[in-house]
Amino acid sequence: MSQQRKSKGAFWALLGAVAVLGLIAIAYVAAKPKTRGITEVDLKADPTQARGYLLGDSTAPVQVIEFADFECPACMQFATLTEPDVRKLVEQGKISYRYFDFPLEMHRNTWEASNTAACADEQGKFWPMHDALFAAQDQWNGEATRNPKPVLKGLAQQIGLDVAKWESCYDEQRYRSRIAANRAEGERRHIQSTPTFIIGNKIIPGALDSDKFMSYVAEAAAAAGPRPATPAMGPASGLPGAKKDTSGARK
Amino acid sequence: MLAALLALVGLLIATYLTLFKIGVIGQLVCAVGSCETVQTSKWATFIGLPVAAWGIGYYVAVLAVAVGLTTERWEQARGLQLAFLVLTAWGALFSLWLTYLELFVIHAICQWCVVSAILAVALFVVAVMDRKAISHEASVMTSEA
Repeated sequence: MSQQRKSKGAFWALLGAVAVLGLIAIAYVAAKPKTRGITEVDLKADPTQARGYLLGDSTAPVQVIEFADFECPACMQFATLTEPDVRKLVEQGKISYRYFDFPLEMHRNTWEASNTAACADEQGKFWPMHDALFAAQDQWNGEATRNPKPVLKGLAQQIGLDVAKWESCYDEQRYRSRIAANRAEGERRHIQSTPTFIIGNKIIPGALDSDKFMSYVAEAAAAAGPRPATPAMGPASGLPGAKKDTSGARK
Repeated sequence: MLAALLALVGLLIATYLTLFKIGVIGQLVCAVGSCETVQTSKWATFIGLPVAAWGIGYYVAVLAVAVGLTTERWEQARGLQLAFLVLTAWGALFSLWLTYLELFVIHAICQWCVVSAILAVALFVVAVMDRKAISHEASVMTSEA
């Protein structure tokens, strides 16, 4: 009987220890700040090139910025589920929308995708390529292939680009510095994960559903009042209408 | 006893995944597979709630029953033993379905989901073995009487 009690005592002690250790581990992970204290910036990136890709009128009452990675599944989720509603707001002139590349090291083919989109922008077709890249993400991402170019070339053909021009741009990585600058702009703003949105004066990480997105836009519009909202870009953005900041300090 | 330990580990994993899903944890530790792909897929939600949150409910229920079965008062309760068997059978089947989705529909594996699936199957095996042991004890006692 006492042997049984001892073994039950040991069992409860083990159960308690596992519970406590597990909870400490979870609390540690949850308490870790999502933004690092020190952010490394690519010094070679020319900040004046960080202009993103604009959709809509840059003087719209609310300006929305997205930092995204073409290979990130959450960005794809946002692009396919929420973005159709976002486009309606752009068409109605309520917001302007600006996409910034934020290619993450963990995604093998994301640079190639950003390169593809930048070269499509050269022919005025960034947004059709943006949509095509997200729609076909599972065909060119790092899990699908080590050589994404044939799939990306197929997308260039699919959206009606001059494929020869696109290919020469792609091969020489003509807009590499622009992509690097877009990413550096995200680092300057302490962007930690993708997608991250800047709506009005709020930085919001994570894929938003339509309802949440609309509520942030409404909030920003209300805060802006009758005057157009100040673009959420800093001094180094190179954006038209960006707020002048003579301090030059990194925020 | 083993069942309670397995259920507790499952509960911790489900809590971790739920905290990621609701945005409390920024990034999943994922050494193997693509946890993000699985956790952001449409299959990560079931009847309006994250699958991981259902996992919390499931593991809490299994833990409560497993702990109950270790007490002198409840260890012979046939109803509770049956509930344990049914509960773990359901958990194992549901986990196998989720693993099928990962492999053949989402085409990505989430290491935490796989560990949870292994735990769910192990819980069912423990439940079956307990059931057999109890049936054997009962038959021995009957024949002795």
